[in-house]
Amino acid sequence: MIANPTTQVDWNGIAPIITIAVTALVVPFADLFARTHAKRWVAILIGGLGTLLAAGLCAQQYGSTGTVFGGAFALGGFTVVFEEIVLLALFGSLLLFATTMQERRVGGSVALMLWSACGALLMAGASNLMTVFLGIELLSLALYCLCGMNDRPASRESALKYLVLSSTASGFMLLGMALLFGASGSVALSSLTLGGLATSSFLWSGSALFFVGLAFKMSLAPFHAWSPDVYEGAPMPVTAFMSVATKAATLAVLARFLYAALPTGMSSAFLLPIWILAGLSMLVGNLGMLAQTDLKRLLAYSGVAQAGYLLVALAGTTALGLRYAIYYLVAYAIMNLGAFSVAAALSDEKEAGSALSAYHALASRRPYLAAMMSLFLLALAGLPPTAGFLGKILLLSTGVATGYWWLAVLLILGTAISLFAYAKIIRAMYARPDGKAQPELPVAPWPAMISIALYGIALVVMTFYPLTPSNIVPFVR
Amino acid sequence: MIHHVMGVDGTYPLLLTLWLLPLLGGVLCWAFGPQLKTAAGWLASGALLASFVLTIVAWPTATQNLNGAVGAHQALVSWMPGFDFGLLFDPLSLIWTCIITGVGFLIHLYSIGYMHGDRAFARFFAFLNFFVFAMLTLVLSDNFAGLLIGWGLVGLASYFLIGFWFEKPSAVAAARKAFVINVVGDIAIMMAIFIMIAKVGSVGYGDVFSHVAAFGPTLFAVCVCLFIGAAAKSAQLPLHTWLPDAMEGPTPVSALIHAATMVTAGVYLIARCAPLWNASPDAQLLVGTVGGLTALVGAILGTAQWDIKRILAYSTMSQIGYMIMGVGVGAYEGGVAHFFTHAFFKAQLFLGSGIVIHALANEQDVRRMGGLRKKLPFAFFAMLIGVLAICGLPGLSGSFSKDAVIQGALEHGHPWLYVVGVVTAGITAYYMFRMLFLTFTGAHRGEIDPSHLGMRHPELVGTPHGDSHSEHHHAPAWLMNVPVAILIVPTIAAGWLLFGGGASWWATFFATTFAPETLPAAPISEMATTGIVLLIVALGFLVAYLRYGRMGDAKAAAEKLRMETVHAFPALTNAFYFDAALDALFVRPAAWLGALSAQILDPHIIDGAVREIVHLARSLGNGVRAVQSGLLRAYVLLVVGGAVVFIAYYTLIGVHR
Repeated sequence: MIANPTTQVDWNGIAPIITIAVTALVVPFADLFARTHAKRWVAILIGGLGTLLAAGLCAQQYGSTGTVFGGAFALGGFTVVFEEIVLLALFGSLLLFATTMQERRVGGSVALMLWSACGALLMAGASNLMTVFLGIELLSLALYCLCGMNDRPASRESALKYLVLSSTASGFMLLGMALLFGASGSVALSSLTLGGLATSSFLWSGSALFFVGLAFKMSLAPFHAWSPDVYEGAPMPVTAFMSVATKAATLAVLARFLYAALPTGMSSAFLLPIWILAGLSMLVGNLGMLAQTDLKRLLAYSGVAQAGYLLVALAGTTALGLRYAIYYLVAYAIMNLGAFSVAAALSDEKEAGSALSAYHALASRRPYLAAMMSLFLLALAGLPPTAGFLGKILLLSTGVATGYWWLAVLLILGTAISLFAYAKIIRAMYARPDGKAQPELPVAPWPAMISIALYGIALVVMTFYPLTPSNIVPFVR
Repeated sequence: MIHHVMGVDGTYPLLLTLWLLPLLGGVLCWAFGPQLKTAAGWLASGALLASFVLTIVAWPTATQNLNGAVGAHQALVSWMPGFDFGLLFDPLSLIWTCIITGVGFLIHLYSIGYMHGDRAFARFFAFLNFFVFAMLTLVLSDNFAGLLIGWGLVGLASYFLIGFWFEKPSAVAAARKAFVINVVGDIAIMMAIFIMIAKVGSVGYGDVFSHVAAFGPTLFAVCVCLFIGAAAKSAQLPLHTWLPDAMEGPTPVSALIHAATMVTAGVYLIARCAPLWNASPDAQLLVGTVGGLTALVGAILGTAQWDIKRILAYSTMSQIGYMIMGVGVGAYEGGVAHFFTHAFFKAQLFLGSGIVIHALANEQDVRRMGGLRKKLPFAFFAMLIGVLAICGLPGLSGSFSKDAVIQGALEHGHPWLYVVGVVTAGITAYYMFRMLFLTFTGAHRGEIDPSHLGMRHPELVGTPHGDSHSEHHHAPAWLMNVPVAILIVPTIAAGWLLFGGGASWWATFFATTFAPETLPAAPISEMATTGIVLLIVALGFLVAYLRYGRMGDAKAAAEKLRMETVHAFPALTNAFYFDAALDALFVRPAAWLGALSAQILDPHIIDGAVREIVHLARSLGNGVRAVQSGLLRAYVLLVVGGAVVFIAYYTLIGVHR
C-alpha cells in the first residue's frame, strides 16, 4: 500500500535518528575548534549528550502506533525497545573512547560511530525492504571506516576484510530482496503476509538469500568467520559497539520479518535452516572460545554463541519468546559492554587490556575491576546471580515449550563448553602474582569506573525483574 | 490467569516494620556485638517488643473484611508470572505473629539473664533475632515460595542455635541431625510447589486455593508432600527423632524454637492449606492419624526420660501431635487454639526448668534433683501452674484447647482418634507430675553418687554448657523470673477466649478464615468429654503420686530410682528404635552409596567421562580454529558455500510445497 504523499509527515517518529545525525554533524566541527588536550572529552561529551537526548525522544514514542514515511518506518514499542538498546550500546561505546584510541582520531571516530548508530536505528524500525537495506548499509559503511581507525596493521586488515565480506553478504541480501519484491510486488514487509504467497518460490528463494545476509550481520555460524578477525583488529570501542548494536539491529529486522512478514500458514520447514544455524552457532561459538588468547577474539566467538542463544527464544515464533529474546538481548548488551569497559579501563592507546595475559593476577592489583569482570563473565556464561542466568532459563523454557528441545539441549551443551573458557579467565584473575614484573596499569577516569558499576548493578537487579513490556508484540503485527 | 490475592491489597508500613525490625536487630547485634556487650540483649529484646507492640497496633488491619477479603495484603516484588511476593496479615498469621513476637520477647528477656556471661552473648541474640525474622517471613508470606524461604531460614537458625555451644560434640551432632531431617521436609515442600506450578501456574496462596480443582488426582500428592514438610518441622512420626536431641541447645532456644514457635510451623502450614485438606479426605485421615499416633508415642516415651528437658521435648512432640491431629481432622480452630495455649504453658515450663538447671549448675537429670520446692519456690510455683495447664485442669488454658481438639476428632467422625486423645491426656498427666515430683518434692538427691542412681555415664553428667559458661557470674534473678511470672497470666487465662463454644471470641475471630461447617452432633457432649478427660487425668496423677510422690528419704528414693533405671523397658529407653530404624533404612544405605561413588563411580566413570569430554571439546575447538585461517578467500568461500546450501534447501523444499 502506497501512502498518500501529501500526508503530514510525522517527524517525531524519527526524531531520535535526526538527533543522532545532527550530533554526528556537530562533532567534527567541535573537534576542529577544541583545544588539543580537550578533543577527546569534547567529542565524547557532545556524542553522549546527543545520545541521551535521542534516548529521551525515543522513549516518548513508546505508546505511538502506525508507520511514517509511507510505511517505511514503523513506530511503537518494538521499535523503541530496539532503538534504546542501540542507544545504550552507543553510549557505552562512546565512554570507551575515554582511554583507548589516539586523541586526534577520537573526533572522527565518534562522528562515524554516530552515523553507524543512525543506520542501526533505522533498522530497528524498518518496515520495508528499502529501509532495511538503507539501515544496514549506513551501519556497515561507517563501521568499515571505524575498523581501520587505528594505526596498527591489524586494524587496516580488519577494515578490508569486513568491507569485502560484508559486501559479499550485502550482495546476496540485495538479490534476495529483489526476489521478495518479485513475490509480492511491493517493498513493504506487510505485503508478504498474503496467504497465497506461502508456496511462492520467489518468496522461498528470496528469503534464503535475505537470511544469508542477516545471518552474516548477526555472525551466525557458518557466516561468522569474519567476526573474530574483525573484532580483534578493530579499535576497542568499535568492537564493543559492533558486538551489541549490529546484533540488536539485525535481530530487530529478523524478528520483524519472522513475526510480521511471513504469510499465514507458512510451513515450519521454511524456518528450519535458521534454527539449524542457531544450533551450529552455539556449538562453533563456544568451541571457538576455548583456545583464544585475546579478549576481543574470545568475545567475538562468544557473540556467535550468544546470537545462537537469542534465536532459541524465537524458535516457534511465540509472543512470549520474543519478549524473552528482548530480555536476553538487553542482558547481553549490558554484560558485553561491561566486559569491554573493564578491558578499556585496563587499556591505553595500544589496547593492552585486549590480551588475556593482562588479566593474570588482576585481583591483587585491581580488585574492583577483577570482581566486576568476573561478574560479567559469569553473566556471559549464564550463572547466577546475574541476568545471564535468568535469561538462559527463559530461553530454555521457550525452547522446551515450543518443542525445539534439541535447541535446548544444544544450549545447555554450549553453556557447559563455554564455562571452560570463562572460568579460565576468572581463575587467572584470582591467581597469585607469579613474581614477574607486570606492566604499569593505567588509571581509568571515573566515568568509566562508574559505568562499570552500573552495568554490574543492572545485571544483578535484572535477575529480579524478568519481564519486558508485554505490549511489544502487538506493535510488530 | 487472574491473579487472586488473599486480603485487602494496600500499603501497610506497620506490617513491613514489624516484619523487618527483628532483622535489623539481628544485623546490629551481629555487626556491633563486641561494642554492644550486654546491651545486645536489650537491643534484641527491644526490637521484639517494638515488633509486638506494632502487631497489636496493626491488629485491626488483620481482621478487616472487605467484600470477603480478610486481612491485609502488602505486595512486595513481582517476579516471573505466578511468582508475586508479598505479605499476608490475616487472623491466622496474626495469631502466630502475636506468639512469635510476644512470647519471643519474654524469652529474649529471660535469655539476658540465662546467657549472662556467655562468651558469645551478642552472637546468641543475633541468631535469636534472625530466627524471629525467619519465622515471621514464614507466617507472613502470601505464597508458598516465600513460605519455603522462611521454612528454610528457620531451619538454618535452629541449626545455629542447637549447635550454639559448638565445643560440645553432642550439640554439633544434634544440630546436624535436626538440619538434615528438616531439609528432607524442605525438599518435600519444594516438590509440592513444583506440582502447584505445573498444575496451577502460580505459588500464591490465593491462586492455589481458588484452583484446588485443577490438581485433580495430584491433590493427594501435594498434601502428602506438604505434610512430610510439616512432619519434619513439627517432629511428627517418624521424623521426630531430632527434637529430643535438639535439647542440646540453650534452654531459651528450646523454649522459643523447639516448643513455642518453629516446631508449630507444621500446624500453621496445614491450617493455612485448609482448602487443600478439605478437598482431600484421604489426606485428612493420614494427617489426623499421624498426629494422634505422635501424641500417644510422644507421651509414652516421655514417661521413660530422666533428663528434664528431654521430658519436656517429648511432651512438646506429643502436644504438637494433638495440634496436628486437630488441624488434620478438620478441627482447625481447635488445633490452632492448642498451638496458642501451648506456646504459653510450654514456654513457661521450659523457662521454669531453665531456672532449675541454672540454679543446679547445669544439672539436667531429675534423678539428681528432688526437694527443690524449698530452694526454688518460684520455679516450683510456675512449673506447677504449667503442669496443671498442660494436664488440662478445668479453667486453665490447656483444658479448653485440648478438649476442643479431642472433641473435634469425634465430631469429624474419628472415634479412635478421640480415644487416643483421651488416653494420651492420662499419660500426659502421669509423666508431667512424675517430672514435678522428682524435681521438687521428696529429699534432695544431688549429693548421692550417680552410680547409686543407676546412671550409666556419671562422668558425662553435669557437663558445663561451655568453657566460659561454667564460670559465669549470676545475673539478677528477676531477669529470669519476670518473664516467667508474666507467662503465668496467659497460661491461666488464655483458654477463656475459647469459652462459649460456637459463640466464643475465638470462633468469631476465625469465622472468616476457616469456612464454618455444620456437623452432626457428636454422641458425647463437650461437657461429658471434659469429664472423661478429667477422670483419666486424675488417674494419671494418682499413679504418678503413688510412684514418685512418696519415695521416702534420699537413700530409699535413690534405690527406687536405681531399680527403675535398671529394669526399664529396652523399647522405651531406646525410644521405640526409631533412630535405629532410620539409621538402617536411610543413613547406612546413603553411606554405602557414598562409598561406592567415591571409590568406583566418581574416579572411573564420572571423572573419566569428564576427561573424555574435555579432550573432545579441545579437538573440536582446534577444528574451529583450523577453519579460521585468516585468509580472506577462505572466508568468502565459506560465505558463498553457506549461501549455496541455503539456496539449494529453499529452492528444493520450496518447489515441493
